[in-house]
Amino acid sequence: MRHELLGRSGLWLGAAAAVTLVLPLVSSSFAIDIYIRVLLFAFIGVAWNLMGGYAKQLSLGHAAYFGLGAYTSTILQIRFDISPWIGMLAGGVVAMLASLPIGALCFRLRGPYFAIATIATAQVLMLLFLKFRDFAWGAEGTTIPNLGDAPLMMQFDGKAPYYYIALALLAIGLLITYAIERSWMGYYLVAVGEDEDAAEAIGVDALRMKRNIYLISAFLTALAGTFYVQYIYFIDPNVAFSFNISVEAALVSIVGGIGTLWGPVVGTVLLEPTSALLQSWLGSGRGGVQLTIYSLILIAVILYQPAGLIGVLTDIATRFAPGRQARAKEAPLDG
Amino acid sequence: MAEALAVRNLSRRFGGLRAVQDLSFSVQEGETVALIGPNGAGKTTSFNLITGYYRPDTGSVAAFGRELVGLRPHDICAHGLARTFQVARPFGKMTVLANVMTGALLRDRSLDGARERAAQVIDFVGLSAKQHAPARDLTTIDQRRLELARALATQPRLLLLDEVMAGLNPTEIDQAVALVAKLAQRGLTIVIVEHVMRAIMAVATHIVVLDHGQKIAEGNPQEVVANQDVIRAYLGTGYAHAEPVGDARC
Repeated sequence: MRHELLGRSGLWLGAAAAVTLVLPLVSSSFAIDIYIRVLLFAFIGVAWNLMGGYAKQLSLGHAAYFGLGAYTSTILQIRFDISPWIGMLAGGVVAMLASLPIGALCFRLRGPYFAIATIATAQVLMLLFLKFRDFAWGAEGTTIPNLGDAPLMMQFDGKAPYYYIALALLAIGLLITYAIERSWMGYYLVAVGEDEDAAEAIGVDALRMKRNIYLISAFLTALAGTFYVQYIYFIDPNVAFSFNISVEAALVSIVGGIGTLWGPVVGTVLLEPTSALLQSWLGSGRGGVQLTIYSLILIAVILYQPAGLIGVLTDIATRFAPGRQARAKEAPLDG
Repeated sequence: MAEALAVRNLSRRFGGLRAVQDLSFSVQEGETVALIGPNGAGKTTSFNLITGYYRPDTGSVAAFGRELVGLRPHDICAHGLARTFQVARPFGKMTVLANVMTGALLRDRSLDGARERAAQVIDFVGLSAKQHAPARDLTTIDQRRLELARALATQPRLLLLDEVMAGLNPTEIDQAVALVAKLAQRGLTIVIVEHVMRAIMAVATHIVVLDHGQKIAEGNPQEVVANQDVIRAYLGTGYAHAEPVGDARC
């Protein structure tokens, strides 16, 4: 019984993987650009969700790590000629180091106060980088030198390679989430998210759990930052530390389904193309019509499906394949 | 018998309120000690001081030979002291099984081991039929059972129960008393805060009475219910010479 079910979902997964792999080969450049944005924001959402979703530490300052990742790799590339592939990992490490003092300060606060404090950290970093004219180009920012087709410097001719990098990042993020969800850490994180004091009472070191998941979340977010500036060939403090990044990271997870493996992916698949298509159809000129429609979609989802769209999908899946309910109850949140 | 818990001169004030004043008592291994007293006597505060949720202003708490003051609650749990909360605090999103597994993971990081251990404890408290239900859907008594199971899953040497019987009906109280008695029989050391006198008389081997943050009496159940200070604290001076009623529920 279980084997057959695993086989069937394996089949679905295989089919989905095949489609995602072939997609850029048969799509227009405009479409690939949307796919890349979907994959990238899904990845940022997955990184955010580890902390915001499982441990319910609602950060609105993940742009801090996105920006640190972006700046670290860019500075290393332009000033020291170091490949962004290495710079990407270096950026991740810088983000992890930054998350320690930021966490030490912000984790003293709970709920909305925590969220506000994290907004401040990203804003402070943005202001700092506006002042760093000597080594980080200040407010002007810089373009990243175009070396043509240079895979070792994370630069490519077409868009397809970027697509595959973003896909790989997302796959890594999902694998990490899956591994955490199915281990003791998943249980401890959800326990901390549900009730910190009760978690402490049964031996959960809540502060350590929060710090550790923040490290992982910051590291992954920084990878996205490097990738993004390599993709758009430009960096300035407003791009790197954009509040939009922080909001988007939280939004795709909340809309898709907070604290679930696929939630951020589902949320991004709905929100990103909608936003991109609305913008291209309606333009940005007509008094923000596309923003209004986008907001209406958000309001509708949050009103009618507060647990996220993943709930709707699960309901449909169980209707068509009732046996799926009997799947191994491994994750802390499974019924 | 060795000393499981030694509370020495414990004090804590909140602003002008002396919540606990110079409290000392000790618990021997295998004993069931009840902490009783009127509302606001400092029972729950004492629990929070012992289990690391509050820091005492002065005094010390030692369990199994180790000083606990300054340790965080999770350290104290790892040292073998598990507590429940007055208002049950289940992880609502999780199932009953996942709640208890989270407790069991303290001693065994493998999910399979934790699941096995959790299933045993859930069976012990009588929640097996509901182990796949989300914790938030449980009734009050079942939430208390869950709270107890989650604490037991951490394999404590000393269990601190904070008013596990408040709000239960008489049948449920009997069930709860039977559970506590069964744990005591297995040799577990228990400190219990309780208002339900019937329950205390049934399970306690030793009683400590608090009033206004101070210990006013201590002894075995028969001694304590006959104590004039205790009757005065509970019923007022007018009743100081009344006959003690074993079944009084205060």
